[in-house]
Amino acid sequence: MAQNQEYTLFLGCMIPLRHPQIELASRKSLGALGITLKDAEGFTCCPEPWNFKGAGLESWLTVALRNLAVGEKKGRDMLVLCNGCYATLTEAAHLAACNGEAVKGAMDKLKSLKLSYSGKSSVRHVASVLQDIGVDGISGSVRRPLKGLKVAVHHGCHLLRPSEVMGFDDPFEPSVLEGLVESLGAEVVRYEGYTDCCGNATRDTEASLRIGSEKIAAMKKAGADCIAVVCPACFEQFDLGQVEMKRRLKVDHRLPAFHYCQLLAIAQGEDPESLGLDRHRIDVKPALVKIGK
Amino acid sequence: MLKADPGFKKTLSPVEGAGKLSYCYQCSACVAECPAAHNFNDFNPREIVLASLIGVADYLTAKDSVIWQCTTCYKCYERCPQGTHPVEVINALKNISCAAGNGPEEVTSSRDNVLANGSLISPSEAIEKRRQELGLDKAPVAPAGELKKILE
Ligand code: SF4
Ligand code: SF4
Repeated sequence: MAQNQEYTLFLGCMIPLRHPQIELASRKSLGALGITLKDAEGFTCCPEPWNFKGAGLESWLTVALRNLAVGEKKGRDMLVLCNGCYATLTEAAHLAACNGEAVKGAMDKLKSLKLSYSGKSSVRHVASVLQDIGVDGISGSVRRPLKGLKVAVHHGCHLLRPSEVMGFDDPFEPSVLEGLVESLGAEVVRYEGYTDCCGNATRDTEASLRIGSEKIAAMKKAGADCIAVVCPACFEQFDLGQVEMKRRLKVDHRLPAFHYCQLLAIAQGEDPESLGLDRHRIDVKPALVKIGK
Repeated sequence: MLKADPGFKKTLSPVEGAGKLSYCYQCSACVAECPAAHNFNDFNPREIVLASLIGVADYLTAKDSVIWQCTTCYKCYERCPQGTHPVEVINALKNISCAAGNGPEEVTSSRDNVLANGSLISPSEAIEKRRQELGLDKAPVAPAGELKKILE
C-alpha cells in the first residue's frame, strides 16, 4: 500500500510558528501513508494572498515566484498544508505560464539571485495528494475508524476558487474533501452555506466574527460534532475565533475544529494526547468522546 | 462634483484579470453571495466595478475605504457571467490605494514584515519550546536578506 511519493514540504508561516500541532499530525499521518516529506531551506512566507497581494501585486508575485524557483531547484513537487500557500503559489505558477508583464519584471528580479522558475515542478495541496491516494488507500491506513463522529467540512475559499486556476473541485458543490473525511469512518454532515467563506480576511473584526459565527451555527444546526478544515487561517478563525465570538458577539458555540491531517492521524491510531490537541482554544474532548477517546 | 475619468480603468493592472471590467453589464450576479455586501451596506461589487469603469473611484482608493472588507472569497469571480473578476478589480484598487499611501496600516506593515524578515510571524522562544515538546525540529528560518535585496 506504500505510495512511495516524495514531496518538498512547504510549511508556510502559520503552521510552524503558530499551530505546530498541525505540522506534527501532518508529518505523522502522511508518513503512515507512505508519503515522504523532504524539508528544505530557503523558503519565505508564500506570501499570503489576502493582504500582501492587495498591498502590491508585483512584489507579491516576485516573492511567490522566488519560492517556486527555490522549490523547483530541489527537483520535486511541493506539498502545502494551507489554502493560502496553495492559492498564492498556484496563482503565481499560473501567471508565470501566461507570462504577462508583471511576471517578466519578477523573473528579472530573480535573476539577480541566480534563480528562475520554469514551471517544471508544481504545488500540491495535501487534500489533492490525498485524493490521488484515494479513499481505499486512506481507509487502508485507518486502524481506529472515527465511527459516530459527525463532521462539518469547511473547504476554505482558496482551495476551491477560482476553480479554473485551483482545479481542485467544483467551486459551489464540492465533495472530494467530504469523501476523504468519510474514508476515516466519520459521518459528514452537509450544512447550509457549506462553501461559504470563514470570514477571516474581512478587515472589520466584528463582521469577520459574524461571518464565522453564522457558519458555525449552520454546522451545529446540521448536528456536527466538529469542524474539519485544511487551512491554518480557517482553523484560526474557527478555533481562536470562537473565543472572540463569545467575548464580542456573546455566542458560545464550543464546536471543536481540526485540520484534516489531525483527524487522519487519530484515525490511524495516534494517541490524541501525543498530538498536542490541548493547544486548541476550543476543547476537543467532546469530539474525542464520540469516538471513545 | 464627481469628475469621471474614463482612462482610470486602464490603470487597473491587467495581470490578474482585472482588465476585463468593460464587459460588465451590471447584472448583479456578483452581489447575491458576497459576504462583504451582506455585512456592509456600502459594499457592492457591481457598484465597485461600475465606479472603476467610469473612473469615479477616488472614494474607493481613499483611506479606510470599504474595499478592505472584501474577504477574497472569489464567489463573485465564479458567478460573473462576463468574466469581469470583480475581486481582481478590487485587488487592483487595493494596489492603487496602497501605492498612494492610503492602505490600512495592518496591511502595509504585514507586507513590510514579510519583506524584512521573510516571514509573516516572528519566531519566538515560546513557540520553539512548544515545537520541542511536540518533538519537532526548530522552525525553518527564512532567508530574510534576499527579499530586501530584490524588492527595495
Ligand atoms: S461584474 Fe459580472 S456579475 Fe457583477 S454586475 Fe458586472 S457582469 Fe454582473
Ligand atoms: S471576493 Fe470580495 S467582492 Fe467577491 S464575493 Fe467575495 S467578498 Fe464579495
